[in-house]
Formats: sequence, structure tokens, C-alpha cells
Amino acid sequence: MEYKLSKIGVALASLCVCAGAMAQTGEIRVLVANHPYGELLKLSIPQFEKSTGIRVNVESLQESQLTQKLTTEFATKSSTVDVFMTRPLQEGKMFSKNGWYAPLTGYDFNDYPKNIMNAASFGGKPYIVPLVTEWQVLYYRKDLLQQAGLKVPTTFEELEAAAQKLNSESVAGIASRGKGAAAVTQASSYIFNYGGQYLENGKAVFDSKPAIDALRYYGRLLGSYGPKGVTSMSWENIMPLFQAGKVAMWTDASVFYGQVVDQSKTQIPVANFDIANFPAGPKTNAPFIVSSWGISVASQSKKKDMAMKFLNWASSKEMAIKGMMGNITMARSSVWEDQIVRSKMNPGLIATRAFAAKHGTPVDRPYMSAVGEARDLIGEVIIESINTKGTSAKLDQMAKEKVTKVNELLQDSGEFGK
Amino acid sequence: MKKDKIVSTVLFYVLVLIIALVVLFPFLWMLTSSFKTQVDIISWPPKLLFEPTLRNYRKVFEEQDFLKYFFNSTIVGAMAVGLSLLLGLPAAYSISRFAQKKLAVFILLARLMPGISFLMPWYIIFSRLGLMDSYVALVLSHMLIALPIVVWIMSTYFSTIPRELEESAMVDGATRQLAFMKIILPLSGPGIITATTLSFIFSWNNFMFSQVLSMERTKTLPIAVYNFLSYAEVDWGGVMAAAVAIMAPAIVLTMIFQQYVVKGLTMGAVKG
Amino acid sequence: MIQSSFTERNLRILFPLPAVVFIGLLMVFPILYTLYLSFTSWNLTSGMDPAFVGLNSYLRVFSEPRFLHAIGRTFSFTASAVAIEVVLGVAIALILNRAFVGKSLAKLLLLLPLVATPVAVGIVFNLFYDPTIGLLNFALNALGLPQGRWVSSENTVISSLVLVDVWQWTPMITLIVLAGLAGLSEEPVEAARVDGASEWQILRYVTIPMVMPVILTAMILRLIDALKTFDIIFAMTGGGPGYASETLNIMGFKYSFEYFRIGQSSVILIALFLVVLLCSLGIMKLRASSEN
Repeated sequence: MEYKLSKIGVALASLCVCAGAMAQTGEIRVLVANHPYGELLKLSIPQFEKSTGIRVNVESLQESQLTQKLTTEFATKSSTVDVFMTRPLQEGKMFSKNGWYAPLTGYDFNDYPKNIMNAASFGGKPYIVPLVTEWQVLYYRKDLLQQAGLKVPTTFEELEAAAQKLNSESVAGIASRGKGAAAVTQASSYIFNYGGQYLENGKAVFDSKPAIDALRYYGRLLGSYGPKGVTSMSWENIMPLFQAGKVAMWTDASVFYGQVVDQSKTQIPVANFDIANFPAGPKTNAPFIVSSWGISVASQSKKKDMAMKFLNWASSKEMAIKGMMGNITMARSSVWEDQIVRSKMNPGLIATRAFAAKHGTPVDRPYMSAVGEARDLIGEVIIESINTKGTSAKLDQMAKEKVTKVNELLQDSGEFGK
Repeated sequence: MKKDKIVSTVLFYVLVLIIALVVLFPFLWMLTSSFKTQVDIISWPPKLLFEPTLRNYRKVFEEQDFLKYFFNSTIVGAMAVGLSLLLGLPAAYSISRFAQKKLAVFILLARLMPGISFLMPWYIIFSRLGLMDSYVALVLSHMLIALPIVVWIMSTYFSTIPRELEESAMVDGATRQLAFMKIILPLSGPGIITATTLSFIFSWNNFMFSQVLSMERTKTLPIAVYNFLSYAEVDWGGVMAAAVAIMAPAIVLTMIFQQYVVKGLTMGAVKG
Repeated sequence: MIQSSFTERNLRILFPLPAVVFIGLLMVFPILYTLYLSFTSWNLTSGMDPAFVGLNSYLRVFSEPRFLHAIGRTFSFTASAVAIEVVLGVAIALILNRAFVGKSLAKLLLLLPLVATPVAVGIVFNLFYDPTIGLLNFALNALGLPQGRWVSSENTVISSLVLVDVWQWTPMITLIVLAGLAGLSEEPVEAARVDGASEWQILRYVTIPMVMPVILTAMILRLIDALKTFDIIFAMTGGGPGYASETLNIMGFKYSFEYFRIGQSSVILIALFLVVLLCSLGIMKLRASSEN
């Protein structure tokens, strides 16, 4: 018995020594997301290793698992992560509050739109380098609209009319996320176009008349002409339906464009799929355009010099152009002006981005630390609206209750009124 | 009389067939889908006839580095089970021979706690000890799954071995621990195989501990499924192929050790 | 008298010691740590370190209707799943309790769902359940039966999840009870037959009572795991639509890793632990009394 125990002890001890030894060599640990740009980084890392001599231990995770792992590591002050991809609007505030991002003073942010940088900076200092950008669009089936004699909707009225005309037993007129928290980002543009918002000056205002009108519209649209079970659908459920030809129009983020026009994913000729600007609401047309993913250095990193080298490379203009050539919509402004890129990229993406960049809103969710919980709360209102096709008598009361709760969350984290 | 017997026999086999189909159906569907293209999987109406493709499996094995996951799952499983046997066999013997009911309950307590509550505390311990980027953290966490299973099965199994065996050896001058090692253990082959197979399968299928405690080098199989769910794409063919690839080894193991696995499940239930 | 060594005399302590130490180190610290956290208001979104607040987190969690609903859902999911699994499992065991061609094969097939990876099963069943392109609705439609929303509707989500759980775990009950039936003595059944009892009466008054302890043991095993069901629900609905399928375990996960309210999630996890503990002790007492 004792003999065997000591054998285990030796094994454990030698593993400890090995782990310690690795900290001294030129190696960094990088966490990326299962995102097209994350994939691109993974593929390109050998070039980085060659030119800098730094070894990269890269790990890719699904987005929520990425946040989960980072949080577990950072919160227990036991992290070995050096560089990581991050979502400025989802975890940015919380991570920066806990001091988990290293400040990026010294980095040149001139190539990034100012309003996007607002979400990447906290207390006036930048902590995240935006990588990719996405904005709300309308995907639609050209052939179905033509057959019905409809032109592409440019207003909410036209959208609803088209959805009604295109809706049938076998094809849903329109689809958009209905799954509670996931729907919050897509419903945002609808709310903005009615003149409403989630938060204003650090206070929850989604119980205002414009916001409620927008939520009722969203509920009516999806409840009447949406696919069955839409209240538990996010993009991963809607996309296969769209590709299987069971949905005529779909509002969601631009990032899915590549999938939508991939012939290997659908039997329908991809020439029938197209992209258009998000339709205008009664008040305005200001769909969201945000930096969905950025990259940062961990404040707990013990290898900040090497980490910065990686960050600079991963966010460089060269890498950005590479991304653009692969139809990944990058955040840097200059790459959108590049002639070669413009000739290769789909004109629909360029046009819708130009529109959103000019008129769009730089947030797609309540921008706060407790955003996860807030999204669940707002999601409840969205689901209620969809379930009642926008007619619910309880909607105003419900929204008021949720506003109160969100305000409590803001107060708990010291963000109320800021 | 004879007609009744024929009818009831036919009915019986029809029932058995129905049960078998219900049990097998999801596996068959997963298997056929793994050879379909994404288009065919989501097509409506569902396609019964289709052109099979190996693309999904190629993705799983080549692009997704399946062999590395397989290797990791095997190492973690084997080490977790091996160490659990090391610690569990003596404990199970003690429970059986010395009727230590409270001890048995204490060890079973490990099964009652929800897995999530272990994650952060373990993270603290393991990273402070510098054990994160190694198999140690995973193996230790999987041992918490395997050890109670080993103890539960083996304590009942030892109880079916008559005390006279080691007692007669002890009368002849052997110590109890020697009798344990030289007499009891060799007789425990079937029970050990059962415990090993069952706890290995539970370790193999474990998702939560592996997801949080594993690093790139030590990623295990169940996590591989999530690789096909990325930010803007769900590769259904890949998911199906990954699911089949993950379950296949466990299924093969089950087929080989079938009778032991069945015995293990029923052990402790029948004896009480 | 033969001299016994120190080792031999203290075997009852030394043999279990490594296992006890191991479990102690790996389990006791997390339990105590979770307990400690439940007395704090640690909230990662506030950026502050854990602060001791006594029973405050408990009060906040217990007064949250969502928590009480989660308890309710945990019980309704578990009760439905275990009840169906026991009834169906016993029924199948009774049917299969005879010698027939292919019995070995049947037992092997029954083992398969038990060894399937729950997360993968969940993801695959999701596609199966899709209201528009899923196979289930297609089959129902072809047979002229009404289609359903399955996991996409608040009304049917728990039942749909229970169905998946039943598929996966009924075989375990069947196999355990089959072994129990195989171990029963023939005499009482023969005697009853001689006395002229019908097959149904034999089943009800002889067979089932004799095998009841085994059935209850199987139920305990299943109950403990069913209360903690995580993988399937996480992979299939994440607690949705809305919160309609949110059990205690899922809620604990959400509070930990989506809301980052570590103090309150610890309360939820302690509550789940107590629920499992009490249910297990309760059923064990029931089994002890049924054996007498």
C-alpha cells in the first residue's frame, strides 16, 4: 500500500515540475472562439510562430463555454491565459470592472470607428481591440418575393405585408430569433427603429411607448407569420429552416451571410438568396452595428510582452485583409476601402454595412455588467409578445416589472444612472 | 390450445421487436445521418434514400483531431479507473468484511453533490498546485465519479465470497491483508471487470468536468461534439459523425463485456 | 495466539484510509467552499470581492418565485421520469422474463441507451424534435396524427425531455428487475398456480411483492441521478423556452456562469444537494420498511 502511494506521489511531483518549467520558455496561451476569425487565427498561427519564435498554445471554444472558462479562471485568480478573444458588449463591462483586461495604451486605434471604440474602452482607456463587426440585415428569398409580385420591403409596414403574403402552411413568411435572451439582440433594431432603447443614461427604458410598440410589432410579426415554436429558436434553429426553404425572410446579423450563400448547405440555388438593408421603422432606420468580437491581453498574464506581440499580429491590417477575403466582416475601417477587397466581397455586404455604418446604433443589447440576467428578463417580455401575437394586455405591466428589475441590477453593480 | 400458443408466441416476438426498434432507433438515425450531407439531413421531407458521403467522418478525424481526443479520453479513463481500483478495492473489502455501513454512505455521498459545485473550488486547488495543464486535474475529477461506483459494486461482490476462504488462510498463519491479495482478489475477476467497465463508460461520457478542467492538450471526446457548433454555423453532419465516433468505443466495450456490465448494474440491487 | 501486526489489527482503518482521504480532500473542500460562498453576496458583475452577508443570499434566493418554480420543475420532471421508467421498466422485465431465442441480444440492445453520451443524445434529439423539419413531426404527419411543438413549447417541454430520459434510462430498471426476477424462487408461484390462481393474480399477489425490494433499489438509484439531470436539459433547452424547463441544477448553472451571482448560485446548489439527500434517505427508509 505505502509503496504504491509513494509511486503516485513521485508521478504527481514530476508533473508539477513539468508544468512549472513551461512557464519559463517562450510560449503563450491563447483562447479563441469557434468563430470564422478564430478559425483563421488558428490556421495562421504557424506563420506567427515562425516569424517570432514564440510558441502558441491555442485553444478554441464555443462562445459561452469560452466566457465560462475565462470567468472561472480569472475569478479564482488562477489563470494562465495570456491573450483571448472577447465580446465587448457581453462581458466587456464585467471583465473590465474586475480588472481582468490589461490596458492597451500604446496601440494605434485610428483605424477603428469611434463609436465602436466606445464599447471597447472603459473609463476612457481602451482595453479591447475590435476584430470583427456585424450589423442587422434582412435576408430574403428573391424567387419567392418575385413570384408573389413583391418588392424588397423597406419599411416595417411593407415587411409585415410581405410576411403575410408569403406565409403559408409550408413556408413561414418571416423568421427572427424568439428564444428569450438570444432574441434581445435581434429585437433591438426593431426597438431602435420605433425610437426606443433598452437603456438610456444608465436607466432601463424598454417600457417606454416606442419600445412597447416595437415589441408588440415583433410579437405580431413572429406570432402570426413565424415558424412553429419560434420562441425557442435562435439562429442555429432558423438557419437550417431557411436553408431548407421553409422560411421566406429572415432578420438577423450579417455574419451568417457566408452560410446562407453556401451552395453545399442548401438544395435551393443560392442565387435565390439575397441580403438587404434592415427595413425602416416608424421613427427611423438605425439598425445595430457592433463589434461582436475583439481581442485582449489578460491582466493576470505573466508574459505581457509576448502577449502584445500576438495581439498586434492577430489584429493587424494584414490579418484583417485576410479575413475580409474570406468574407469575414472585419472591424477596421481601412480594409473596407481596399480595392481588391471590394472587388471580391459580396456587394450586398458592402452596401448594407455602409448603410449601417452611417445610420446604425452601436449597441444591440443593454450595455451593462449583468447583461446575461438582463437579457433573460427582457427575453420574457419578447416571448410573451410572440405568444400573444403582440396583443397581450399584460405586456406593459410586465415590461415595467422587468424595467424595475433591470434597474436593480444596474444599482447592484453601481452602473445606475451613469 | 395450440393456436393460442402460436398467437401468443407471435405477439410476444412482435412486442420484443417493437421494444428493440424503439431502443435502436435514435442510434440508427444518428448513424445514417452521419453519412449524409448537411443538405440531406435538414431536407424536408426527410430523405430515406441518399448518396452517402464520408466527408463528415473525414472532418471529425482529420480536421478535428479526433484521435487526440480519443487518446485523452482513454488515458483519463484508464488512469481514473485504475487509481479508483487501487483506492476502492481495499475500501470495498473493508466495508464488506467489517460491515462499515457509515463508511459506505460517506463514499456514496460523493454521488449526491451536484457536479457544478465542484468546478470553482477544484479550479482553485488545481491551478494553485500548477496541475491544470496536465492530466492530473481531469483524472482526479473523474476518480470522484469512478470511486463510488467501484466501492458500491465491489463491496457487494466481496460479500458474495465466503469469509471462510480468507479465514482458513488466516488460521494457517497468513495475515488478513495477504489473504486479501492472494486469495480474494484473484477470485474477484468478474466483479472487477464489471466495475472497471461501468466506471470507464461513465468517465468516457462525462462532459461537465472535462469541459471546464481540460486544456487544449487534454481535451476529451464529449467536448468534440461542441466543436461543430460554432459562432455562425451548425455542422449537423459533423455533429452526427462526432456523436457516433464518441459512442462507438463505449458500445464496443459494452458488447465485449456485456454480461459483466449487466451483472454490475444488477449487483447491489439484487443482493441489497 | 498468533502475533498480529499493527497493520492487521488496524486493517479496518488502513484499508479504507486512502479512499477516505481522497474523497475528503476532493469533496469536502468544495462542499465547505460552496457553503461558505452561500453566505456571501459575491457577484462578479459588481467587481468586488466576496463579502460576508450571513443569510442574505438565502433570503434573496428563497423569496424569488423562480427558485420555487425550479424546485417544482425538478420534482415534476423527476417524478414523471422515474415513475414512467419504473412502470415501463418493470413491465418490460416481466414480459422478457422467460427463455426465448435472442434473449442475450435483447439484453445487449437494452444496454445501448445506457452507455450513450447524454450530451450527444440531447443534441441529436433536438433535431428530431424540430417542429418544422424534425423527423418526429414528419412521422406523425405521415400517420395522420397531430404534430407537436415538443421542446419548443412551454406546455410540452418537460414531457418531451422526460421522453428522452425515459428512452435512455428505462433499460436500466428493466435489466435490474430482470436479474431480480431471475433470482426468485419458483415455489410460491408454483404453489399459487396449483391453488388455481390466474396468471394476473399470480403477478399481482406473488411475483411483484417478491421482487419489490429490487424494484425499490432500482428506483433509488434512478431517483438520485434524475434529480440531478443536467446534460440532456443543458444540451436541449438550456432551461427554456423562457424558464419552462429550468430545474434546480440548470438554475444553479445559470446563476454561476451566466449571471455570475456566485453567492446565490451556491445557495441553489446547496438546496439541490439537500433535496437529493432527503429524497434518498426517504426512499431508503421506505425500502427498509418494505423488507420487513
